[in-house]
Amino acid sequence: MLTVPYTTGYLTEHFADDAFTTLAGYRARGGYEAAKKAVTEMAPADVIALVKDSGLQGRGGAGFSTGLKWSFMPTEGDAPKYLVCNADESEPGSFKDRILLERGAHQMLEGILIAAWATGADATFVYVRGEYAFPAEQLSRAVAEAYEAGLLGENIFGKGFEHDVIVHRGAGAYICGEETGLLESLEGKKGQPRKKPPFPAQFGAFGMPTTVNNVETFSHVPHIVRNGAEWFKGIGTEKSPGNTVFGVSGHVVRPGLYELPLGTPLDEIVFEHAQGVPDGRKVKGVIPGGMSMPILPAGMLDVPMANEHLRERKTMLGTGGIMVMDERTCMVRTACVITYFFRDESCGQCTQCREGTGWLNKIVERIERGAGSESDLDLLLDVCGKMEAKTICAFADAAAWPVQGLLRHFREDFEEHVRQKKCPFPESFEL
Amino acid sequence: MAKITVDGVEYEAKEGRTILQALDDLGVLMNGVDVPHYCWHPKLSIDGSCRLCQVEIEGVPKLQIACNTPIKDGMEIRTQTAQVKEAREGVMELLLVNHPLDCPICDQAGECKLQDYAFEYGVEHARTREPRRAAKKNVDFGPTIIFDQERCILCRRCVRFCREVPGTGEIGVFGRGDHSTIETFPGMELDNAYSMNVADICPVGALTTKDFRFKIRVWFLEDVPGVCTGCAKGCNVWLGTANNKVYRYVPRRNDAVNETWICDSGRMSYRHIGSADRHDRAMVRGELGVLEVVSLDAAVDAAAARLRALVEAKGPGVIGAIASGHGTNEDLEAFVRLLDGLGVEARGLATIQGDSDELLVQAEKAANGEGARRLGFGDASAVIDRLKGGGLEALVVMGHDLLHAQHMGPGALEALGRLDTLIVLDTHHSALERVAHVVIPSRHAAEKAGHLTNHEGIVQAVSPAVEPVGDALAEATAFDRIAAALGPAGGPG
Repeated sequence: MLTVPYTTGYLTEHFADDAFTTLAGYRARGGYEAAKKAVTEMAPADVIALVKDSGLQGRGGAGFSTGLKWSFMPTEGDAPKYLVCNADESEPGSFKDRILLERGAHQMLEGILIAAWATGADATFVYVRGEYAFPAEQLSRAVAEAYEAGLLGENIFGKGFEHDVIVHRGAGAYICGEETGLLESLEGKKGQPRKKPPFPAQFGAFGMPTTVNNVETFSHVPHIVRNGAEWFKGIGTEKSPGNTVFGVSGHVVRPGLYELPLGTPLDEIVFEHAQGVPDGRKVKGVIPGGMSMPILPAGMLDVPMANEHLRERKTMLGTGGIMVMDERTCMVRTACVITYFFRDESCGQCTQCREGTGWLNKIVERIERGAGSESDLDLLLDVCGKMEAKTICAFADAAAWPVQGLLRHFREDFEEHVRQKKCPFPESFEL
Repeated sequence: MAKITVDGVEYEAKEGRTILQALDDLGVLMNGVDVPHYCWHPKLSIDGSCRLCQVEIEGVPKLQIACNTPIKDGMEIRTQTAQVKEAREGVMELLLVNHPLDCPICDQAGECKLQDYAFEYGVEHARTREPRRAAKKNVDFGPTIIFDQERCILCRRCVRFCREVPGTGEIGVFGRGDHSTIETFPGMELDNAYSMNVADICPVGALTTKDFRFKIRVWFLEDVPGVCTGCAKGCNVWLGTANNKVYRYVPRRNDAVNETWICDSGRMSYRHIGSADRHDRAMVRGELGVLEVVSLDAAVDAAAARLRALVEAKGPGVIGAIASGHGTNEDLEAFVRLLDGLGVEARGLATIQGDSDELLVQAEKAANGEGARRLGFGDASAVIDRLKGGGLEALVVMGHDLLHAQHMGPGALEALGRLDTLIVLDTHHSALERVAHVVIPSRHAAEKAGHLTNHEGIVQAVSPAVEPVGDALAEATAFDRIAAALGPAGGPG
């Protein structure tokens, strides 16, 4: 079965067309014209200004301004500079980058080329999630085609512009999706985030100035160059422009990918696009942006999927990986799964994260077994507070937020476990 | 220079330093300004992982780790606010989630930073109900170190030490999260010339030395500052003493000499202090031709009488002197006074040359060879040549390095045995006794006050840490007493 999005937009509209994955097919759709325009007609600073003006936010989870990030790259000095494309997509619930690599590798490469021109980067390392064998293969093939056609390598577009793309496959650790954990892993070291300062723009891959962007972020760039900032700002919300590719999974009739403008209401995505929960059951909760984002209860799904709105409900867009849970779901078991994941994946450097993730997991597992007490609920929140905003990277936050979200909206599930001294959800998924 | 304010007190600090480095440079870290820390060590790279050193900085919303935050001119830092204290409590509580409560049987108890900081900055009661992590106990890391995985708080000082100081990198962090552990790499042992330093920098009882563990509770030890006498470096040490015995050396920080380290062989040289082969009584070769134990006075008198007789009969030209690099400057100065008084000119210094490295270990295996040279004791070879050629009839020898192959080697005793008079002042027994006429026991550097001059000319004081063995005298005292016995002018009276 071909996994193409059910709803498409400028990013994915040609993904059903096999030819689009080839250089010829991509060029037939106007591919690499934007890169040519940028390299031959625009100064690097103008490209950065354009992307800044478009309001494009990073699509890897943090939502930082892409143009601003590019502007941090030093413009002086002879040292090599690098781009890194973060294709480690390891946030549970996220599977958008996979399709963007499998079906749109040239689109992403064109975005990389434009970013390289804008930032003066000498090479791009594409760090592909270890399990993504087929996407890595598709990407490598596209890279080879691009070299063959002179779109990578030396003297690109006859402008003396040089750029190399190196495809690097990871080995399957969640933390290697964190940008400095990724850099360490790329350098052949144990994947664990670096303390900052120094920041990657000064000291990144192999100690050189580096900008790290997500697969989807790069994929938007050719469209912005082709159609302009105003066009881009016309899509989505005022503060969160553009489309994104939502991945919907869990208890829905039609799980899959949906390219939609940012700001599309969550209930529209869940009930109209993904066609709601099967067998007439009700939604209980929805994780809006990958597992590390706090859950929303059924009553809060009218929220537009854009950070400015999601923040009001104490959650975030994250990677746009939407996970739907129906009424049978035990939220304590959900907490067990989530805390187990983070316990297993914590790199173990920072005290709060190393010890906190394990402790959270032990407490929720105890509650699920029916051995919890009322005070455990506040203890969970207290441990989360001790983990939040105190570590090298945001992993500890990512581990604490979902627990806080579950307790914020589903505290009664936890309390019921304590009262009944067992799990009151016999139909929930098995641990 | 940058002006920083810490808890309302203004300091001038060097630009480019982080907050902890600046406080350390100023000498106020944990000595006026309390910023507890585990992973940060002044002589290792910054790790930034224990998160205990978080402080509040004016204008910065989140707490920042003091170890990795560069200072800026005008920076206002607060180390004792409610927010900081809460963060410290959080770290301490989390560190104790998996740490075994085995202080009563842990050898680190009493000098454990986890104990100290838990008391000072932690919470009173554990809220954990789950069993703590079970992990490997009593792991043999190599010839010198035992590792306890359960007690490890993963500050990774040991890992950085091995990579950065000896450069051997035998250990690493394996696994992730709360199941990560320190281990030696496959097929490797923690075995390098500085391996035991990992036990010093380990803030908890995870790494202990095979030599010291379970020998004595540290709260019985009195730490006396001293200097290692293993080589010309003169590394600063604390001598851990109790019951008039030295139980260990641990490095004492001196950035001009040894920073915070000491080599393993230097560390183990504490064993020479109270060893079984120490001289404890004076001896004089009697009429039967064997050494007999005598009083110090008798030995001093015998030495003076023999020297006087020779000078009177043949003049001071037949007397030679061999100094040792193990004596203090005071000992050597007294030797010079005695030799000047006698008119003895044949003077030399015997020290042993051995392995050296780039870090601390010096080739000269004596703490005060440089001091001796500065007092006029040159190479011993001229004296030895005269001795072998029969040009000497008496020799006054400090120590027994002279016997080493680098000086006399095989045949030494034959040559020395031809002497009319051999006076030996030594800390330890040696083959010299087979031919010596007078033996005076001398004190180890740990048993006397004085000064040692290291290879770079840095003069360092030593003071008595333990009582001397038996009748042992500082050589200075012995030489002065011989001089006194010789008469007012020090010469034949």
